Amino acid sequence: MRTRTPPGLQVLRTVVIADDESSMRLLVHATIESDDYCVVEAVDGAEAWAMVQKHRPALVLLDVQMPGRSGLEVLGLIKADPSLAATRVILLTAKAQETDIESGLIAGADFYLTKPFSPLDLLTRVEEALQL
Amino acid sequence: MGVQPHERDLRRGPPRRPGWSLRNYMALFMAVLLGVAALAAFAVRSMAEMDARQSAGADASFASERAAQQLKAGFDQIALVSGPLAGDPSMAIVFADPSKCHFGYAPIGAFATGHIDLVRLDGSVVCSSRKSPDTTSQIYEGQGWLVTPQPVVVAPIKDPVTGSQVVVVSYPVPGRGALAWFLDLAPIGPKLAAEFGSGVHQLEFLVTSGDGRTIVSRSIDPARWIGRNVSGFVNGSADASQPDLNGTQRLYGRSTFDPGGLRVYVGADEAAALSAADQLSNRSLAIILAGVAVMLLVTFVVYRRIAEPVRRLSLVIRASAPGDAVKAVGPTGATEVTNLAWDFDRLMATVKRELADRLSSEQKALLSERNYRLLFEGHPQPMWLYDVETLAFLEVNDAAVERYGYSPEEFLAMTIKDIRPPQDVPKFLELMAAPQPALDKTGPWRHLLKDGSVVQVLITSHSVTFGGHEARFVIAEDLTESQRLELELHQSQARAEANAELSKAKDEMVSMVSHEMRTPLASIVGFAELLVTRKVTPEQRTEYLGVMLQEGRRLTALINDFLDLRRIEGGHLTMRYAPADIKSLIKRAVALIVDPTGTPIQMRVPDDMPLVRIDGDSILRVVANLLSNACKYSPKGGGIAVGAGVVADMVEVYVRDEGLGIPADALSHVFRRFFRVDNPDRNGIKGTGLGLAICKNIVEAHGGTISVRSEGLGKGSVFAFTIPLARDASQSGDVLVVEDDAGFAHLLQAELTGLGVSSIWAADAETAERLMIKKKARAVVLDLLLPGLQGEAYLDRLRVKHGSGIPVVVVTLKDLEPAETLLLHKAGVTAILRKGPGMAETAANMIAKSLAAEQLVAG
Repeated sequence: MRTRTPPGLQVLRTVVIADDESSMRLLVHATIESDDYCVVEAVDGAEAWAMVQKHRPALVLLDVQMPGRSGLEVLGLIKADPSLAATRVILLTAKAQETDIESGLIAGADFYLTKPFSPLDLLTRVEEALQL
Repeated sequence: MGVQPHERDLRRGPPRRPGWSLRNYMALFMAVLLGVAALAAFAVRSMAEMDARQSAGADASFASERAAQQLKAGFDQIALVSGPLAGDPSMAIVFADPSKCHFGYAPIGAFATGHIDLVRLDGSVVCSSRKSPDTTSQIYEGQGWLVTPQPVVVAPIKDPVTGSQVVVVSYPVPGRGALAWFLDLAPIGPKLAAEFGSGVHQLEFLVTSGDGRTIVSRSIDPARWIGRNVSGFVNGSADASQPDLNGTQRLYGRSTFDPGGLRVYVGADEAAALSAADQLSNRSLAIILAGVAVMLLVTFVVYRRIAEPVRRLSLVIRASAPGDAVKAVGPTGATEVTNLAWDFDRLMATVKRELADRLSSEQKALLSERNYRLLFEGHPQPMWLYDVETLAFLEVNDAAVERYGYSPEEFLAMTIKDIRPPQDVPKFLELMAAPQPALDKTGPWRHLLKDGSVVQVLITSHSVTFGGHEARFVIAEDLTESQRLELELHQSQARAEANAELSKAKDEMVSMVSHEMRTPLASIVGFAELLVTRKVTPEQRTEYLGVMLQEGRRLTALINDFLDLRRIEGGHLTMRYAPADIKSLIKRAVALIVDPTGTPIQMRVPDDMPLVRIDGDSILRVVANLLSNACKYSPKGGGIAVGAGVVADMVEVYVRDEGLGIPADALSHVFRRFFRVDNPDRNGIKGTGLGLAICKNIVEAHGGTISVRSEGLGKGSVFAFTIPLARDASQSGDVLVVEDDAGFAHLLQAELTGLGVSSIWAADAETAERLMIKKKARAVVLDLLLPGLQGEAYLDRLRVKHGSGIPVVVVTLKDLEPAETLLLHKAGVTAILRKGPGMAETAANMIAKSLAAEQLVAG
């Protein structure tokens, strides 16, 4: 259940969680909490983008519907920046329609989870994403 | 083409008016001109003759004076020389020695010839200016001038020496003799004539003796006349001519000169003078004649160029009928006349054209009127005209008569209302009241035929002016089967579209709701899974469970709000309106709010607010919702105020906060479902996004409006809504029902109405108190558990204010202690009933009974 970071690689990988709902941030944070990641929280899209630029995280967990910049906008910014090519993105959304899923994936997200989601699923996706 | 009577009148020519033709005026002008010219010629002629005479006479007189002066001057000169010489003592020497005498004669003035002699007293000559004078004989012996004491002039005298007529001027030489001048007279006339000239008047100079009888000199033919006696000639004057010595008619001027007493006559030749005058006057006459000739020519030309063309034009005009083409009068004539002729031509041409046009348009109008009437009357579709103001029929066609069954007379006595089924008339009138478009196509309409059957028609109408009325022309088209089908298809399509829209809205709603529900669900499910699958610390467990509870409640609230909204929007929530005291309602709303920041809510509601007519529970919810929002969106505290006031005929309630505020672009959206202001400052403030939408629906159901103002982010916001006033007239009754349960109150009122008792309802005690004052209810049904003021307290106040006479029935859910029951009985309640099924009826019966008993007592 722990991360599969090769031993000896001491650099902590940063994960950014962006969601305007505090309960969701708490849930995601609690789910992926481990010694292997440094978790940073952002309460809206603008803060999320600022955090991404500041910490250059390995993974970003983006809520799609946020005040300010939406998750899809932040995703677009990440994909447009070549220096963030290694950053993986998982989208979390309350939107559940097929077209939404397609547009999210086309925008370049690595994974896509629909609320309500299983924390265990989330963890699996996170680990998969980090191994990509 | 027949000649109209008035045209014949025109042809007859101009009426005889007193007055002259232009030709007559021209003739008169010429006659006058000739007369004046003749008069002028005569005047010139006669005046010239007179002038000639006068001028000749004056010439003669002037010349005679000049001649006399000259002669006198000669004498003066002689006197000047001779006087001193004669008196000179040396004369004695000359007399003694004649050889010492030397005389010479020089011409003096007109006296061209003569001689000077020194004469002794005996008449002998001492010496003389003559050559070889006879000094021996006493030739002047006996002459009067010889012995004279004074110088003397004697004339005329025949010179004894020369035998010619002379003037003798003698100067005495005292004691010895005299110095005598002998001046020849004969040459004087020619000399004067030579000097003064004969001129045009061919003057005759004539010198006579003082008595005028003897001619001493004459300028014409002197040899023949000198010395002649011409008795009678002296009568000549300058004004009248007289024949001269030769028989020529002359005008004479006369002068005398003193020494010698001679006369000088000067005669001007009358014939010569007249002939000169003739010449002059002839010249003037020629000028006058030439002038007259020129004038005549001009007159003639003017006549030819103006009068004649005008006369001809007049003849032509007179001869032409209206509409005739008239030949131009011709190139001769003054420009104005030619223009007049052209203008007349044009006028005639225009008249002709217009006549032709009018004729044809009259014919056309006649023809087209008939055609249009045929078109209208014979048209297979019913048509009519109606007056827009009175709606009365003005015209109907045959098809309308046939289709509707009314005769034309019946139609014209009806209005277009009368062909509508009575139930359609209100809708029709409403439509007519609105301004109608110039061209309108409406339908289908139902029209009533005379036989009572109803047909469906399509109406095409447009505005026209008919006989001065504003009218509308209508074509009524029977709805055919295919049209009906088309119409139905159209309507069903519209319905389908509306349905599609509705279902789309529903889909959106479902999508939004499911979306809103997913977030709390995600928390609940997620944390539950964590709790199940992981080992967590007790602290974590508490935290997770807390979040789950909170999100679960949020989900519940969301579902409740959503269902409420659906009910209100769908009209399923029944509003029970009752008079209410807004102040007590606001108080209750404030009491519901628990502000986490602890800021007190200020209430600014005047005491004398009028009652409002509202569904109390709903409005309470609105006020509470607005207050709760105000607290929620004032995370840093700040004042919150709620107030009310009368605005126009509504009561306005407002809630003001100094919180986060709303950006301008979001103001118009805040009442939309699930709309949340998208700004990081309100992250973490949770809500269903439905509260304001519910508020809006409730307020609008009351006939009020809700609005929001905000100066922007951070500047707070003000929500305000209006609700109607309770109308006094709308509520009156014998029984006051004080009950916060709207359903039970309603039931009670229905029971009372069934017993013939009227009632009013107050949802709280505060409202009840105010209604009691206003309406003077005769009985009260009272619930004890009330919002705000409780039933018992209200009862006490009622007794204090209105006495114990009013029957009160208590209906309540409250479990009463015996002491409480006792207190109530003490307060004089008629009965205490426990709320339950059937209790409304019981309470109503009891109230009705006590009212009847009271009436008996009163009676």
